[in-house]
Amino acid sequence: MGVAPRDDTPAAPDIDENGVDRAQIRVMLALTPEERLRRIEEFVESALEIRELNASRALR
Amino acid sequence: MPPARFAEILRLLAAHDVEFVVVGMTAGILHGAPVTTVDLDVVHRRTRENVVRLLEVLAELDAVYRHDPRRLRPGESHLIGPGHQLLATTHGDLDCLGTIDQDRGYEDLLGQTVELSLAGGLAIRVLSLPALIEAKERAGRPKDLAALPVLKATLDEMQRRP
Repeated sequence: MGVAPRDDTPAAPDIDENGVDRAQIRVMLALTPEERLRRIEEFVESALEIRELNASRALR
Repeated sequence: MPPARFAEILRLLAAHDVEFVVVGMTAGILHGAPVTTVDLDVVHRRTRENVVRLLEVLAELDAVYRHDPRRLRPGESHLIGPGHQLLATTHGDLDCLGTIDQDRGYEDLLGQTVELSLAGGLAIRVLSLPALIEAKERAGRPKDLAALPVLKATLDEMQRRP
């Protein structure tokens, strides 16, 4: 019995003519408004955490 | 800087029956745009009763003016006016705007809002995505113009959905 070849090709990004990732928008639209907000809160929190961790470092 | 808890701020405002409209990039996010922001912008109704309710929430959030080292708190006279009160709270930065976009206040915006639900049955009013796009186009600042392709693509994707 033959084994079907596995398709390891990643899905192509869906970038429109303005450089906007349409797939990312569809992911957001699948969430509730509150879930969308939480996602951004997590992102902001991570970004601020990294900024604070590096605040005391001198620029080189 | 405290963690951003915008959903909790909105929940508190709604639970205290504050009349407000979410505007700015947070409105875009609530509609599904994959953008980010570090503050929450709301336009509140500037009646005395509503400002009193808003002040109760601001006291709960320990809100102070974020660009003033004296930790000044907003008062009724500030919030009843058309200006912008840029506040730091225990739940992140909150901008209480008397008017936006060519002096439009709460009543002017109301017809261009949609009601969205939060968990627990609370509802909030959010500037519609077409109205947000128009406001950003009118504002015309580089940061507004930079957001337009994503906002417009989000509107397009929304309109394609069954």
